[in-house]
Amino acid sequence: MILTALADGSQHGYGIIADVQEISGGQVRLRPGTLYTALDRLRADELIGVDREEIVDGRLRRYYRLTPAGTKRLAAEAARLQAHATVALTRLDPAGGMAT
Amino acid sequence: MTDQANLERAYRRLLAWYPREFRRENGEEILAVLMASAPPGQRRPGLAESADLICNGLWMRLRPSVPRSARTVRAAVRLMYAGAAVSTVNLIMLVAVIAVIRARHAVLGHSLTAAQVSKFNALGITVWIVWSLIPIALWLWMALANGCGRNWARILSTVLFGFATLDLTGPFGTPGIRVSAVPVVFGPAVPVLTWLVGLAVVWLLWRPASGAFFKPPGHTQAQHQAQMADRAHQAQMAELARIRSTRGTVPA
Repeated sequence: MILTALADGSQHGYGIIADVQEISGGQVRLRPGTLYTALDRLRADELIGVDREEIVDGRLRRYYRLTPAGTKRLAAEAARLQAHATVALTRLDPAGGMAT
Repeated sequence: MTDQANLERAYRRLLAWYPREFRRENGEEILAVLMASAPPGQRRPGLAESADLICNGLWMRLRPSVPRSARTVRAAVRLMYAGAAVSTVNLIMLVAVIAVIRARHAVLGHSLTAAQVSKFNALGITVWIVWSLIPIALWLWMALANGCGRNWARILSTVLFGFATLDLTGPFGTPGIRVSAVPVVFGPAVPVLTWLVGLAVVWLLWRPASGAFFKPPGHTQAQHQAQMADRAHQAQMAELARIRSTRGTVPA
């Protein structure tokens, strides 16, 4: 989900929280502690990197972006979920699945 | 002092749960996000928010920070946490057993001999529990130190494993501290299990693949880089402080 938030450009921490909330339709509200544990993990695995740093209103703001490896991982993950969803929809409605 | 400054101080205290390294790298940024998320008029961190920071901070301190490339060391560190978990479960079960035996004794009166009863007196049990906490602490300490790539930790782990072997085989055991009823209940399963975990850990730590993690090439170079990063960080913080003082966003 964090990777999805970064898919269309770099974002800073607060932007990611807001974006994840929007993507999930308000279901997921990341807390800063959780977010930065996840970001640290993703950085260690080199799926994301720091894009740039800014100082806004006297506070540090760091923008993150996907690395090529992160883009690949997100694409693979999305494809997997899509395949899963397709199977589920087909089984729920075999006739409709065949019609389309 | 304003509400905002109070809130910031409270958040800083919560951030102290994180490892220093992580705080240096991300602290200011997390603080910025926390302050931006706080609704106006909030004076202190919420309960859920505090719990989230404390849990994540502790997790950051305890989780193995071994890169994926060093697979054998990662496995060894995980096994050491498993060893700590087994020792903890074992301790809890033994305490439960003692409680049961004491309760039975109270009901049955003199069915136990005086010598057996004396082993279950309160002081003896307290000493024994404290003694049992030592292996748990050692497991955790070794997991952390090995996870940081300290070569002395690898050597100390091996020495400790040697002691565990002697303890298991008997001659250097500490009979005074063992509770005699316990091996009857559980048999030697738990000591043997922990010993096997230890064996696997030592084997993994001394695999050729682990060597690179404990003796990174160009160690001095890495130290130098860390120093440079530190200086860059200090410069950044100075810049932040300068901007703050000129704008006066945070009252001194």
